[in-house]
Amino acid sequence: MKSTRREFIKNFGKIIPVVFFGLSFKKFIETVSAKENASTHHPGGDYDWNQHYYAFVVDSTKCIGCGRCVVACKEENDVPKEPFYFRTWVERYVWLNGEEEVKVDSPNGGFNGFPVIYDEKEIRKSYYVPKLCNQCDRPPCVQVCPVGATYKTNDGVVLVDEKYCIGCRYCIQACPYGARYLYPKHGEREPRRNTADKCTWCYHRITKGLKPACVEVCPVGARKFGDLKNPDDEINRILDENRVDVLKPEAGTRPKVFYLGIDGAEVR
Amino acid sequence: MSELLWQALQQVQGYVYPNEIEVNWSILIVFYPYITGLVAGAFIVASLERVFKVEAVKPTYRLALLTALAFLLAAPLPLVAHLGHPERALEIMFTPHLSSAMAGFGFVYAWYLLIVLLLEIGYDYRKDVVKWARTKRGLKGFLYRLLTMGDYDISKEALKKDEKLVGIITVIGLPSAAFLHGYVGFIFGSVKANPWWSSPLMPIIFLFSAMVSGIALVLLIYMASTKLRGKKLDMKCTDTLAGYLLYTYVLDLSLEFMEIAHLVYVQEEGIDAILTLINDRLFLSFIVIQIFLGTIVPIFLLVMAKTGLFRATIRKIFYIFAALLAMIGVLAMRWNVVIGGQMLSKSFRGFSTYILPIFGIEGLLTAVAIFILPFVLLFIFVKVLPPWEEPPIWESTEHQAVEGNGEG
Amino acid sequence: MRKIHVRVAMVYIVIAIIFLIVRSFIVPPSFGEYGWYRGDSVSEIMNLSVKHAGSYSCSNCHQTEYKAWTTGKHSTVNCESCHGPLKYHVDDPGGSKVEVNATREFCGLCHNENPSRPEGFPQINLESHGNGFTCVTCHNPHYPWFD
Ligand code: HEC
Ligand code: HEC
Ligand code: HEC
Ligand code: HEC
Repeated sequence: MKSTRREFIKNFGKIIPVVFFGLSFKKFIETVSAKENASTHHPGGDYDWNQHYYAFVVDSTKCIGCGRCVVACKEENDVPKEPFYFRTWVERYVWLNGEEEVKVDSPNGGFNGFPVIYDEKEIRKSYYVPKLCNQCDRPPCVQVCPVGATYKTNDGVVLVDEKYCIGCRYCIQACPYGARYLYPKHGEREPRRNTADKCTWCYHRITKGLKPACVEVCPVGARKFGDLKNPDDEINRILDENRVDVLKPEAGTRPKVFYLGIDGAEVR
Repeated sequence: MSELLWQALQQVQGYVYPNEIEVNWSILIVFYPYITGLVAGAFIVASLERVFKVEAVKPTYRLALLTALAFLLAAPLPLVAHLGHPERALEIMFTPHLSSAMAGFGFVYAWYLLIVLLLEIGYDYRKDVVKWARTKRGLKGFLYRLLTMGDYDISKEALKKDEKLVGIITVIGLPSAAFLHGYVGFIFGSVKANPWWSSPLMPIIFLFSAMVSGIALVLLIYMASTKLRGKKLDMKCTDTLAGYLLYTYVLDLSLEFMEIAHLVYVQEEGIDAILTLINDRLFLSFIVIQIFLGTIVPIFLLVMAKTGLFRATIRKIFYIFAALLAMIGVLAMRWNVVIGGQMLSKSFRGFSTYILPIFGIEGLLTAVAIFILPFVLLFIFVKVLPPWEEPPIWESTEHQAVEGNGEG
Repeated sequence: MRKIHVRVAMVYIVIAIIFLIVRSFIVPPSFGEYGWYRGDSVSEIMNLSVKHAGSYSCSNCHQTEYKAWTTGKHSTVNCESCHGPLKYHVDDPGGSKVEVNATREFCGLCHNENPSRPEGFPQINLESHGNGFTCVTCHNPHYPWFD
């Protein structure tokens, strides 16, 4: 009697974990291998994310620093208006006569435009550089997210799941470009509060065939957005005909925002 | 919160990306590696006796284990309190994203708590627990009976097996403790975006500073508890612990030196910003507190104590100061890593300012409260599972502790 | 096997089982559909509301402005760069009123002289140009140049 009970307990003790870990392992494998069947099915109705792969070009030689992109972005994406939260911002680079170091500023991210602070004659060289999420092909932010709340879509955009993000902010630390911020407690969009937020290239627009808001409102065409998988898209021509820079190539992140007309060594 | 950000905006030096004005990892994240470091350090003290057979530190063995447990239980608190959505914290265990250094936390933690610490303490205390379960009544008795899990077998044979098992667990536990904390270092060391963090040495530096703080903590708790219990301090044990404190300190200092030397020598992008960070922004907390007060002075004190020129009472004072300074120095080290790293803009062109709020969930008071908690827990553990060598006071009314291994 | 080991093992197994059961309830069903994330979140983000309607959507109702605009020098400037996001207005033109900013500062955002701007971009001295009248007294914002 006693020994059979013991036997039973012994076997039970062996079988249960085997069964359960087996099951959870199966589920785990399923989840991991889901990546493969992702190529056959896709979210969101008519839009097939496997038919697109996006890229962004910033032509710094055209930017006039009006800041309309910053405003439009904040409006389009419910980004809080305080000067601590930006999905996109514009920087001003100024080299003064007789000074080696470049001076950089971005008052309120360029939201209100740029006040004139130097006289024309003092300046050797100066231009504006719009910044936004680079939607890296090797995104360090996705790599470090502990729960899978930020991810790269098949069309190459890095998104944040506001319902799943735990707000640990590791991704904010990992981003070499400062493109992420924590959506504040008082932010307009309630479900997004206290989670990481970043530029999505206006994913809700581009999947409907529209341009991102910042591209839409740019008065001078300094921001170009397009689909690398569409041979007729002008973005392919721009990338073919120009020599482009990316920001911080040494970070190994493979950005998909390409810059025209910047000093690669100074702009970072 | 917003108020502080406006202040921080005023205090920006140079250019920082606009999203960097907010320092995202606050004082709580300073305390998180500090507390896990104390766990790892305390556990390593405990394994000195078990694995390396350092008999002299035996009086601290159980105390160190309970200390490790108390601090381990408090370790996740700063993390969870800091989360934007604490209610989603368990996702980190339900859907751990394996490429993330942070995702391991849940599992490393569970492993260390369930497989290492609880088992080691459980099996080590088994004999006493069974004895207490037989003699105590009331709530306490019930608790002990629960802890026996219905197995009252304390035959010589069983105890010998327990002993062996504890030995095995400690051997597993040692790398686990090193991993638990080295892994915290890796969380920072793997952030390539930040030159002040990104370093393969980071886990090792974290580990050694953890050992420094852990040994210092056990030393302090041991000295304080003997004093409180009106017992005589076992000077051999204290000297040995202090010796180990010195050795780890020397290693810690040389690692730290290697790290800084490497940074300064290879002069990668951002080095100018790092130099400004050290010499200006972190001058007080890095140069003065961490390096001078927190490392050089205690090493000096410990070396002085080692010379044998001083009497036990003087040495005791040296040790108290050295250990206290070690605790402060390591806390400063955590501050310099966590806060310092975030002050440095990733544009390498400027610095943001961290304004420490007193109140609020991410304020100083929460951090202090979280740090006091493990001491309260330790007090309770010590009451329930007395770690002292001699039987506790409430067990034998008039027990004369065997004296003699203390020195005059 | 000693009793104590079995009991301890049982406790841990129970913990593991509870963990797995709770897990199966809490992890969202669409998690892992496409990768290590909640698949539904993609369509949730795709369905966020669009706020900028684009210039072409104004053409039906504001034909005068639109026609002038397409042939004028501001044709590269989207209506909504100046008028703000107006999807709500396109959907419901009778709804809340559209604010129009016609101050000198507003035109100055783009046209004030600033040495950081590209040389070729038409810039004026906001202080002196036009004697302090609002710009729209002389320039039609939708067709700002006279020739
Ligand atoms: C469906 C027709 C319709 C569309 C499309 C439309 N509008 Fe209007 N809009 C109106 C009407 C009608 C009014 C007058 C409402 C009022 O006065 O309250 C108006 C008023 C305005 C005004 C304010 C005029 C004033 O005197 O205050 C502006 C500016 C304006 N629209 C801009 C736009 C822009 C820019 C777009 C394109 C994004 C646009 N509208 C698209 C119908 C339309
Ligand atoms: C360069 C900035 C700018 C752009 C681009 C622009 N507007 Fe305007 N718009 C203005 C200003 C400024 C006024 C106010 C004019 C005034 O007060 O006389 C105005 C007025 C209007 C009005 C009200 C007209 C009235 O007489 O009250 C309408 C309607 C309008 N705009 C539609 C459009 C549409 C449609 C487009 C795009 C095709 C457009 N605007 C593009 C700046 C602009
Ligand atoms: C969002 C930026 C923007 C705003 C705001 C804006 N403009 Fe323009 N403006 C432009 C652009 C872009 C051009 C075309 C420049 C070119 O052709 O190189 C232009 C051209 C002009 C020109 C023709 C200059 C020339 O030499 O060809 C005039 C005049 C002008 N704008 C007046 C105004 C007035 C008046 C306002 C205020 C109602 C205004 N602009 C607001 C962007 C803006
Ligand atoms: C009193 C009428 C008047 C007012 C008010 C006025 N302008 Fe002009 N603007 C002119 C005339 C005339 C010209 C062409 C001659 C010139 O270059 O000065 C002109 C030229 C321009 C040009 C083209 C300059 C170039 O170099 O090609 C711009 C841009 C411009 N104005 C913008 C503005 C803006 C912005 C305002 C409001 C701050 C404004 N104007 C107010 C009359 C006016």
